[in-house]
Amino acid sequence: MSSNAVLHHHALRTVYIDHHGWLSAWLRRQLGCQDQAADLAHDTFLRLLARDRDLSAIREPRAYLHTIAKGLLVNHWKRRDIEQAYLQALAAQPDALAPSPETRALIIETLTEIDRLLASLPQNVRTAFLLSQLDGLTYSVIAVRLGVSERMVKKYMARAMFECLALMDTDV
Amino acid sequence: MTPDRRVLQEAADWFALFASERHSDADHRAWKVWLDEPAHASAWQKVERISGQMRQLQSTNATASSQTLRGRTNRRQALKTLAVVMGGGALTWQAGADRLWQHWQADAATGVGQVRQIALADGAALWLNSDSAVDLAGPDHIRFLRGEVLAQAGTHGHLHLDCVAARITLSRHGRCSLRETDSGALWLTVFAGDAMLRTFDDRVEHVAAGQTIRFDSNGISARNAADEARRAWATGILLANDRRLGDVLDDLARYRHGYLGYAPAIAEIRVVGAFPLADTDRVLDALAATLPVRIHRTLPWWVTVEAFSA
Repeated sequence: MSSNAVLHHHALRTVYIDHHGWLSAWLRRQLGCQDQAADLAHDTFLRLLARDRDLSAIREPRAYLHTIAKGLLVNHWKRRDIEQAYLQALAAQPDALAPSPETRALIIETLTEIDRLLASLPQNVRTAFLLSQLDGLTYSVIAVRLGVSERMVKKYMARAMFECLALMDTDV
Repeated sequence: MTPDRRVLQEAADWFALFASERHSDADHRAWKVWLDEPAHASAWQKVERISGQMRQLQSTNATASSQTLRGRTNRRQALKTLAVVMGGGALTWQAGADRLWQHWQADAATGVGQVRQIALADGAALWLNSDSAVDLAGPDHIRFLRGEVLAQAGTHGHLHLDCVAARITLSRHGRCSLRETDSGALWLTVFAGDAMLRTFDDRVEHVAAGQTIRFDSNGISARNAADEARRAWATGILLANDRRLGDVLDDLARYRHGYLGYAPAIAEIRVVGAFPLADTDRVLDALAATLPVRIHRTLPWWVTVEAFSA
């Protein structure tokens, strides 16, 4: 371990000892579940560690942790919504093969990420992208479904992909 | 457009071309030439990453994935889904077992949106704000657990308030409020009489009527003039006397289940008004009607206040 890494480790330990208590309590109140709160508190500190900045230079560690935790919380709620929507969509197909729990977890993970990337796009753009990439429809069929020209569908596709590319390396 | 974004746009255009049924060998050759540039190749790798994720979704019940994602923008659909999943009791999920337990443990507690008054001996009284809890340890001794309380000392003796960071002794006839913030710090505001604050490492601070302090186990971190409006909640009213909108929304959030967020851009707008706490949705609508903000209700429990752009 370099001396920098030691310092970083030490600072993280201090932040953890000082702030883990209230953070867990706050998350517990938001979530109403001790286990989920413990997980999210853990994730918050992991996120802090991953940001790789000088922890001792953070002037308001509480506010900083709070911001990270809030982001994770919103994400957690979104993921839960997506999971429920996915399970419903599965249930609506009685003869569909239920994916294994592992596969399901991976799918929910990917759905959450794609949903984040597409979130700010207009409905038509999203729909075109999903009908093409997931339902395998051709541009001409999508054009009829959306009531626009094929050229417009292509524009929608480029716009959706551009949005994904621009957002994919940003933080959740 | 920056060069980076232009390259991303080009990559997205190529993607849209190849995803269509109309592309030629000449297109393919032109794309190969484009791809030779390292910056282009790295942009295309990103396209591959997204395509890879879409292929992964396609390999297992693509229809369910597509329906899930397509349903996400349609708010009405989302609301319907939620109502079905929750069996109508859309907001009850928040009250987890853990919280209920704390509820039973505490001698006095309020749920989200409730305000409660408790009469103590000797004319002393206690008001619990939304989502708050206390233990009544003795006739003149209260243990603050969470939320916000307004305490009125009796006509004869002191009133002791214990919290995680300190013991507060409120003088005869004194009146104060104690509130914890999301960050774990506490605010003590003295409206009448005075209070002594003794931290558990035995530092003593005096807080006079008209003062408000912020403190935690490390001591006092701020001292301001008290805002009279801060105790109006005891009468079911949220008073804003030229306050930051961000602070008003933070307060309002405590009377609601779920998440109430706001864009940083609107936090500094000043607010003046008296708002009934019994119906926070109406308060939000009232704010939207008078300020340059709009209320975005993604889901019933997930509300965001944003800048209004015409």
